[in-house]
Amino acid sequence: MTCTLGEVKNRADFIVYWGGNPAECHPRHFTKYTLMQKSKFLPRGRKDRTMILVDIRETKSGGAADIFLQIRPGKDFEVLTILRAILKGQHVNSSIVAETGLTLEQMTDFIDRAKKARFGCMFFGMGLSMTRGKHMNSAALLTLAAELNAFTKFVAMPMRGHGNVTGADVIMRWQTGFPFGITFNRGYPRYNPGEFSTVDVLVRGDTDAALILGADPGATMPQPAIDHLARIPTIVLDPKVTHTSRLARVHITTSVAGISAPGTAYRMDEIPLPLKPALKSPYPTDEEVVRRINEAVARKPHWMPADGPMTIMQH
Amino acid sequence: MSPITLTLKERPKVPLEAETVTPDAFVTMSNEQIRSSLVYHGKRHCRLDDFFEVTGEFSDLIEMHGDLHRVKLLGKSMSRGQLKVYGSVGMHLGADMRGGRIEVTGDAGDWIGAEMSNGFIHVHGNAGGQIGAAYRGSLRGMKNGTIIVGGTAGLEVGMRMRRGTIVVGGKVRDFCGLQMKGGTIVLMSGAELRTGAWMVRGTILSLQPLPLMPTFASSGHYNPSFIDLYAQELLPHGISLPNHASAGSWSRHCGDSSIPGKGEILIWNPA
Amino acid sequence: MIRITGGKIFDPANGINGQVRDLCIDGGKFVSSVIGGRTIDAAGMIIFPGGVDVHTHVAGGSINFARAMTPEDHRRTTAFIRTQSRRSGLGGMAPTTFATGYLYAGMGWTTVNEAAVPVLSARHTHEEMRDIPILDKTSCVLMANNEIFLDLLEAGEFERAKDVIAWHVWAAKAYGVKAVNPGGVAAWKWGKDAKQLTDPIEGYNSITPGTIIGRLAQIIDELGLPHPMHLHCNNLGAPGNVWTTLETMKLLEGRRAHIAHLQYHAYGGDDWDTMRSASAEVAEYFNTHTNMTTDAGAVLFGDTVTITADGPWQHLLYKLTGRKWGNLDVENETGCGIVPYTYRPSNLVNSIQWAVGLELLLLINDPWRIFLSTDHPNGACFWRYPEIIQLLMSYDFRKDCMTKLSPIARERITLPDIDREYTLYEIATITSAGPARALGLTQKGSLGIGADADVVIYEEEKDIAKMFSHPRYVLKGGEVVIEDGDIRATPEGREFIVKPSFDPEIESFLKPKFEDVYTMSFENYPVEMERLEHADIRECINGQAPSPPRTAEKEPDRADEGVEF
Repeated sequence: MTCTLGEVKNRADFIVYWGGNPAECHPRHFTKYTLMQKSKFLPRGRKDRTMILVDIRETKSGGAADIFLQIRPGKDFEVLTILRAILKGQHVNSSIVAETGLTLEQMTDFIDRAKKARFGCMFFGMGLSMTRGKHMNSAALLTLAAELNAFTKFVAMPMRGHGNVTGADVIMRWQTGFPFGITFNRGYPRYNPGEFSTVDVLVRGDTDAALILGADPGATMPQPAIDHLARIPTIVLDPKVTHTSRLARVHITTSVAGISAPGTAYRMDEIPLPLKPALKSPYPTDEEVVRRINEAVARKPHWMPADGPMTIMQH
Repeated sequence: MSPITLTLKERPKVPLEAETVTPDAFVTMSNEQIRSSLVYHGKRHCRLDDFFEVTGEFSDLIEMHGDLHRVKLLGKSMSRGQLKVYGSVGMHLGADMRGGRIEVTGDAGDWIGAEMSNGFIHVHGNAGGQIGAAYRGSLRGMKNGTIIVGGTAGLEVGMRMRRGTIVVGGKVRDFCGLQMKGGTIVLMSGAELRTGAWMVRGTILSLQPLPLMPTFASSGHYNPSFIDLYAQELLPHGISLPNHASAGSWSRHCGDSSIPGKGEILIWNPA
Repeated sequence: MIRITGGKIFDPANGINGQVRDLCIDGGKFVSSVIGGRTIDAAGMIIFPGGVDVHTHVAGGSINFARAMTPEDHRRTTAFIRTQSRRSGLGGMAPTTFATGYLYAGMGWTTVNEAAVPVLSARHTHEEMRDIPILDKTSCVLMANNEIFLDLLEAGEFERAKDVIAWHVWAAKAYGVKAVNPGGVAAWKWGKDAKQLTDPIEGYNSITPGTIIGRLAQIIDELGLPHPMHLHCNNLGAPGNVWTTLETMKLLEGRRAHIAHLQYHAYGGDDWDTMRSASAEVAEYFNTHTNMTTDAGAVLFGDTVTITADGPWQHLLYKLTGRKWGNLDVENETGCGIVPYTYRPSNLVNSIQWAVGLELLLLINDPWRIFLSTDHPNGACFWRYPEIIQLLMSYDFRKDCMTKLSPIARERITLPDIDREYTLYEIATITSAGPARALGLTQKGSLGIGADADVVIYEEEKDIAKMFSHPRYVLKGGEVVIEDGDIRATPEGREFIVKPSFDPEIESFLKPKFEDVYTMSFENYPVEMERLEHADIRECINGQAPSPPRTAEKEPDRADEGVEF
């Protein structure tokens, strides 16, 4: 259940930010897309909208919220599951509810407001998706949004991190069927997050080379993953020196997408925006480097046996 | 039938995918055929004997020796015979298994017995996560069979399982029995958080106290007779379940009410 | 240069029914003769023009969302292994882009029309289409729920509305205009629907779905677009919706229109329990009104994933099935929904749907006006077309399949009473010549001199489904792409687009509206020409609608004896 940001701008009278701090991380989000905009359907703009912020601590975004719900760290999944139970009029164990940092009244009020909204939208950030429970926390929020559609229009959308993460996700999907966590070792895409996702592969030391594009895992990944990158031949394509480029065997300097390299960036709602470069760069684009690596690899003997099947039926 | 033995001679540098190693396949194969059967070392197509010494042929008893923690998919889809590993194994052990027995003396990776429909898996050491689980996007995990883990286990044990039994001797991490639709999970040493989250049906027994989700409701103490049946079934595997009223009772918790589900978590309270 | 000798030609566009003729190809087109080059001996084989799919969903935000939602299907489907000349991919319910090209070409289809493109994400659709090899493509941009357009209709500003449509078609680099559940999708954004042509639309005072349909058809005719309004009628999938469909058709008298996936719009009854086939009523009206074309939107039993811009219908399906549900609303324009679904013969509704698709194909007597489609992936995946061809060509096979239906289902349908069997000539019409004509693609669907050399060569055999699934050769633009079941070449396809004329001043009208409702800068909205690979701009003749669809002449006698199917 999702929508484009314009739908939120034009229609959303009930907006929830969960585990994200848009005031600091997505500074133009409130003014451009969500809270402050007036529209045909919400002529009074901010006054026509209710905003609830859910987080483990007060952030700058709190000032913009009508209601701030402070939950205990690591209790997102429990809170979301309780909300689902309340939505269905089910019993919840009130003695355990207290552990979440919220009261049953606060959560019932949340559901009442959500049901009364004409168009609700929940944004969720890394505070939800990267804390204990990870993908299940996101799943809990998405399920709640889906179930609210029995009462009113309701959508949910992740607040993605920096860079063109969404673009990578979108293109991997159309080319391979899967967004990430893919292996091509058998000549066709297979998917299993946790097994084939980059961080897990590196932590287990399951790879003997690495090509890093548009990311700085040396700054963000756990130490065993970084240690492995330093052990194996690592190639980094990046316009600047990064933690990863420092530990890599090879660093190829590339031009900056959007400033000196053209292309497409996908916004968090998967709307593609053209990148129109303003400057010229002496450095090649990422695309050109990858294309030339590909051409060089193609001149080597192909690694798949020539007499193998062209298609296989998986099972 | 004398067993086929595979002894690791060359440690794989990257994961080795060896779903060819099943009793079903080897029972029809000569020693040479077994040696030459296809395994994937990363993207390279290799022969099994690039990595293993192979003795024996035409048998559905397989013994493996060595540290196989990078060897994946052993016993995948097997339906008969026995696979015994003296050492540790990698991911997807016995995935989609339909019958037969697997025994591992050491540890195992994630996804053991994933989506299995029958058979028996016993891992004496620790196991990873997603035991007997559904693969991403699938609606159903294991449909039948038994998985016993002597040591600890990881996340999402029994995720979306429909029938069958999982027993874990050591402590289990979060989301045990997630979205479970049926079957039984026995936790000898309890679990961390969110046990039984979003469960629809099925039973989780814990011999140790557990943190419960707020969407589970307590419904009293009892000593149900079905526990005696489980106890009889598990006794031959060296697992004993208490149920005598003089020793204590089980407290019953129903949930997950967010679904709303009719699953139950039973926690043993010694007298 | 290629010469194909000795094959039996089925070329309805040129009235050729099974005559043995040689085909000569040079420069990607059919020519009268060639000297030298390769000769393909097609003696005893059957030759069709390359297939044309008038309505499918193969690229863009919604099918890509469906891909993400169905990893379990990707794991059990056909995988295309990478070679040095070919990319890898996965088939299944929502195939990946490369696999889409291989699978379509693998059964002899060489042109497809992506039927639903939101302007806002048209850039994404074009990027995906570039990654679909072999096939030529057209696309239809979604306009019937565009709020700027609806506001103009509400204000009675017809000429300006026309400029707005023309500007959007060009901005999206589209080929035609699609109308989905006019007014209903706009209402869905508030969780409402607009089911009847006279229903008020939530958020508007005077306009109704009927207003939108009539005006849009008029605009498209006046702009002279080669493909008429591509209409997904209101009230899709609901029992009794035949009345909405017939009302819509009456409203369109005197206008050209293509009615998409008619199967989903031909149900009688009052509710799910009393639902019955109403294909006879629809076919009867359709047969006597030659201003329209349609495609079947046939259903086959089995797993699929349903995906449409019709959000309300999708939410209903989700409630009925309780399965996974995805919904994606696009600001100001449209929305889409995605639900994995299994059609079962044991299910009364599914049985009726299965029968209605076939009944329409059999009861509509003019193969130039009804085309083969499953509304991929909604009714079934496109790679199952050969099964439908078998159902159309064999009454006995249909009877066998009907034994799976319940007695109640058999009472609610007319299929058992229809003994028509399609000829090869008619199959070539509904899969190629007809849809090419309806799309206004004059160089497609024909084996005549000057047409694009897209050819399928089948080895004649009794198992119809097998014959149509495994052509011996497929040529695209004169290049052999499939031979003996192998993919031999994966050339890039072309994209056909149109540039209808509009008053450039419309931009100064649109810009402030945009900034009001959209979240993208006005300058970033139009898709740049360089985004398209091998774009081919087709003419529009402003103010002059192309002639209505060709209707059937009598089928010429078949020249050969042929296999008894």
